[in-house]
Amino acid sequence: MATVEERLLPSAEPVQLIDEHGVPHDNPQYGMPSADQLVDGYAQLVAGRKINDQAGALVRQGRLAVYPSSHGQEACQIAATMVLGEQDWLFPTYRDTVSIISAGVDPIETLTLLRGDWHSGYDPYEHKVAPQSTPLATQLLHAVGVAHAARLKGEDTVVMALCGDGATSEGDFHEALNFAAVFKAPVVFFIQNNEYAISVPLARQTIAPSLAHKGIGYGVPGERADGNDLAGLLAVLGQAVAKARAGEGPQLVEAHTYRVQAHTNADDASRYREDDEVTPWLERDPLKRLDAYLTERGLLGDEKKEEAARAADRIAAELRTGLMEEVSPDPAELFAHLYATPTPQLKEQAAFLQDELAREEA
Amino acid sequence: MTHQKLTMGQALNQALRDAMKADDTVLMFGEDVGALGGVFRITDGLTAEFGEDRCFDTPLAEAGIVGMAVGLAMNGMRPVVEMQFDAFGYPAFEQVVSHVAKMRNRTRGKVTLPMVIRMPYAGGIGGVEHHCDSSESYYAHTPGLTVVAPSTVADAYSLLRRAIEFPDPVIFLEPKKLYWAKEEVDLSVAEPGIGTAVVRRAGADATLIAYGPTVPVAMEAAEAAAAEGRQLQVVDLRSIVPFDDETVCAAVRSTGRAVVVAEASGFASVSSEIVARVTERCFHSLAAPIRRVTGFDIPYPPPKLERHQLPGVDRILDAVDDLQWEDS
Amino acid sequence: MTTQTFLLPDLGEGLTEAEVVRWLVAVGDVVAVDAPLVEVETAKSLVEVPSPYAGVVAELHGEEGTTIDVGKPLITIGTSTTPAPAVEAYREEEKAGSGNVLIGYGTPAGTGSGRRRRPRQLVGVGSAPAVPAVPDERAVEATAGVAVPAVPSGRVGAAPATAVPAVPAGGAEPAVPANGGVPAVVAGGAVPAVRARRAVPLVISPLVRRLAQDAGVDLHLLDGSGAGGVITRRDVEHAIAAREAGGTNLPSAAPAAGAPAPAATGVPTSGVPALDATPVPASASAPVGAAAPGGVVDSRTGLLELRRERVSGFRRAVAATLSRSRAEIPEATTWVDVDATALIELRESLRTASDSGPGLLALMARFVVAGLQKHPELNGFVDTERDELVQYDGINLGLAAQTARGLVVPAVVGAHALTTRGLDAEIRRLTASARDGRLTTHELSCGSFTLNNYGSFGVDGSAAIINHPQVAILGVGRIIDRPWVVDGELAIRKLTQLSLVFDHRVCDGGTAAAFLRFVADAFENPSSAFADI
Repeated sequence: MATVEERLLPSAEPVQLIDEHGVPHDNPQYGMPSADQLVDGYAQLVAGRKINDQAGALVRQGRLAVYPSSHGQEACQIAATMVLGEQDWLFPTYRDTVSIISAGVDPIETLTLLRGDWHSGYDPYEHKVAPQSTPLATQLLHAVGVAHAARLKGEDTVVMALCGDGATSEGDFHEALNFAAVFKAPVVFFIQNNEYAISVPLARQTIAPSLAHKGIGYGVPGERADGNDLAGLLAVLGQAVAKARAGEGPQLVEAHTYRVQAHTNADDASRYREDDEVTPWLERDPLKRLDAYLTERGLLGDEKKEEAARAADRIAAELRTGLMEEVSPDPAELFAHLYATPTPQLKEQAAFLQDELAREEA
Repeated sequence: MTHQKLTMGQALNQALRDAMKADDTVLMFGEDVGALGGVFRITDGLTAEFGEDRCFDTPLAEAGIVGMAVGLAMNGMRPVVEMQFDAFGYPAFEQVVSHVAKMRNRTRGKVTLPMVIRMPYAGGIGGVEHHCDSSESYYAHTPGLTVVAPSTVADAYSLLRRAIEFPDPVIFLEPKKLYWAKEEVDLSVAEPGIGTAVVRRAGADATLIAYGPTVPVAMEAAEAAAAEGRQLQVVDLRSIVPFDDETVCAAVRSTGRAVVVAEASGFASVSSEIVARVTERCFHSLAAPIRRVTGFDIPYPPPKLERHQLPGVDRILDAVDDLQWEDS
Repeated sequence: MTTQTFLLPDLGEGLTEAEVVRWLVAVGDVVAVDAPLVEVETAKSLVEVPSPYAGVVAELHGEEGTTIDVGKPLITIGTSTTPAPAVEAYREEEKAGSGNVLIGYGTPAGTGSGRRRRPRQLVGVGSAPAVPAVPDERAVEATAGVAVPAVPSGRVGAAPATAVPAVPAGGAEPAVPANGGVPAVVAGGAVPAVRARRAVPLVISPLVRRLAQDAGVDLHLLDGSGAGGVITRRDVEHAIAAREAGGTNLPSAAPAAGAPAPAATGVPTSGVPALDATPVPASASAPVGAAAPGGVVDSRTGLLELRRERVSGFRRAVAATLSRSRAEIPEATTWVDVDATALIELRESLRTASDSGPGLLALMARFVVAGLQKHPELNGFVDTERDELVQYDGINLGLAAQTARGLVVPAVVGAHALTTRGLDAEIRRLTASARDGRLTTHELSCGSFTLNNYGSFGVDGSAAIINHPQVAILGVGRIIDRPWVVDGELAIRKLTQLSLVFDHRVCDGGTAAAFLRFVADAFENPSSAFADI
């Protein structure tokens, strides 16, 4: 009979199935994902890395307002959606662009927020991806509501709710976990602990033994994994999703990763951390190790690598072309989406703006 | 007398520095204000100079920050806290309204809270959702709060110093689009205190009333109007609460016509309050209804549509045109 | 090959400039898309900027160590592609923005002063634009059936289009159009009857309301000339003036020098059916309506009211034109004393046993006509709609005539083509017609300039009111003996004063004085004047 601690506390060490050198490690609880999954995952990692880097360039060219990159965290991004089914929801934050695209959302639509065209560019119902949330942790409560509604409707939906280490300090994190637990909502709370909330390191965010340890306070099982190990993440997240789907209630998963770049293009990381803190993490790069593992086993030939690289280049070109093309949003939209029926005041204001624009000198 | 060319951000930084030097109990904390120096560098160098007990980072929780400030102020400290962006301050709203604003009243003056909540405020920087809100109406509507918004570099320094010395809690709105605005200032000269509005530009034809980021826009509109032969007076409120009825009404009485200019959505806004009280007091001097030029009643637009929301020179001049000049 | 210039983007939330730290390319280098170009330092951080274009570096727009503003050129690259037109259009749009520092091709800190948007067309007095941001009650009035005249009066400062109401036959009170003074645009074109008095009068501003209150003007009795029936300042001022003028039975009010009383001007012009032709009984000029005996004490002055007189349609029409003239025309007055001795001698010389000869007025008229031919600026009108000053080819000379009903100013049509004798004949005919009340509408409204001989009132000068829409009026006062200097010695001469009031929009003082001088010289030395006419 498992004790409360055994049931609810995370593994002593973050689960790791492939280490940074590409060497596999056994784990009694989590099996290695299939070769197909890993090869597919590798291609997605390559694409994800390309998206991050291309977007990073585009923001410095003024084509995006801001780009919070997940460079170095792509394993988390990809794993989060690989373990989901068609009926499942993803609740992303502003840093989860790669995750959203891997869930199937069109890349240009995904970047609408960061581009500055509108607050969200995609239909959440199309791929069951909630709008990106800028304020931290607020979306976790929404995730609980969506999950609970699914349960009430008798659907076997699981909601993957993403957040960062900083978000776990917000009150909404506490409330979301508590609500989810009490209502036994099928939510997997996936914390991408990249060790920084802008400039604030984890040590100043919490002195909990780990963020996964926080689950026990709510009766929610917590687990932690090496956030740069796609294999380990697929296994841990896969199991968490399965448990939630089976009706066991919410699960908490913490991925230990690292924010290799600055918070966004507008941040200067040198002000609060040293370069040599970053360097070891470059060695722990998720692509590197998976590449090494798969190549070693002959699962990833040059052909497959080139194919993955080409596919990634296509997406990058798509991004460049799509973002170079300017489609100016229609000012009339400003007044269109407030209420089901626009109020007389809004109609008046819309006409006011229309009149102004008509008088604009070319 | 030492003139220097400073940005508003630098002036605010200097004000914090000087305040912390002058008073050991002044603390500065919030998210990323320590080593980083703040996302807008307003707290740059303070931790290095005063140490981590005086200027420090907190966990990511706005209610926590303000709630803890309440406690600190109750126990002899003068906390200055930062909400990283105006709209990120909403988790703390409960603390502000239920406690920051009410503590003096609740305890009949036994417990008072000398604290400042600084917020990068308003729009015009091409930011995505939640980075450009103008939330002053919520705070202005809460009795017990003092709400100020500087528009010049000199005022940024002076008003922040005064806010920190103030015996009551102050919501300090920093127009973020003016952070990089540079002016030549002499920080040794004290500007008028909290509760005083200032006429920034004289003019006999009509009065523009503005605060924070719309003051420079109003000044620009006055320049444009002058070229068209109309002299506009510009009043910088500086202080939303307490409101300087005297200065504002004297100004409006001298012209008989007024336009209020503010970024926040117009409905149930500070602008509404200004129109109501000035009309009440200056009714018989008015040659035309007082007009408001405000943001539309919509969530702040995405960056590419931002310019339609912000009161600009043209919109202000259109409103001025509407002031029943044919009845002079 | 075309070149593309990459403007420095805003690299972080409202930054306005960046310092070039280190160029990573040189002119002539071939660069690929996203290749690193330069390291720049902003207020927030050090940033490596990648190339948006592939091509050959053509120009670096700042040396290392210099600062570049956001939105200014950073680097120019020669490419083989042209930018998408939409991109260029968007850049232009962004430059027009008022603070959007996004999307790289940024917004400079100062976007320049002055309007970039055409001002609205104002619709009528004080009303909001066609699509009002603030629905005001006047617009509500309009939709409630009281039509608002859609008179596009253009930019601020243009006067509202108030026309004078129709004056019906017999001098009875006119049917006042719905907007009292403003012809209502009502479906079917019918002019509605006098509308009901409003319970709460619409007043354009508290100032005007106060003005009325202080002057003891009852707003309930006023018809507002503003859009939707709003009572304007002018309406209240008219009411005050009319009350002051209409209380006594002055023969059309003597033109007091400098007094702003309705002086020697005329009747409504511009398309208004004015007086009818039927003889007007002498009593019509007396106060119309009940001359209520006193008994009422005026609160402001403490005085008993002597008499109250209903303002007749005729008087109202006159008042409207006079007020309009004063309101719209920036008039200036210049006057001169004239030795009319020679003129009188000329007149006498033309009198024979069988022929009384042209009268003095005809002689004066002849010289005035000549003067206008020399200075046509004073013989025209101001076309405010087209913003043009119009000068007529030809002169219809208006002459003030005193009738029992009041002052009228019929015009000698085609005065420029008449001889002095012809002028004289016309003047006599018009005077008779005026006395008999048989002047035609055309005669009463077609004048292009007015000559006003008020000498019979026994005064010298007058700051008269121009007979709108004319642009000038020449007044001639009494001719009396005065000491004068002739050839260096005192003499008694026949002196008269000429007062020229002119619309300063149409000419400056030099022109006005020149005209006045010409006429004065002609009066003083008629024989020499013949050389120039």
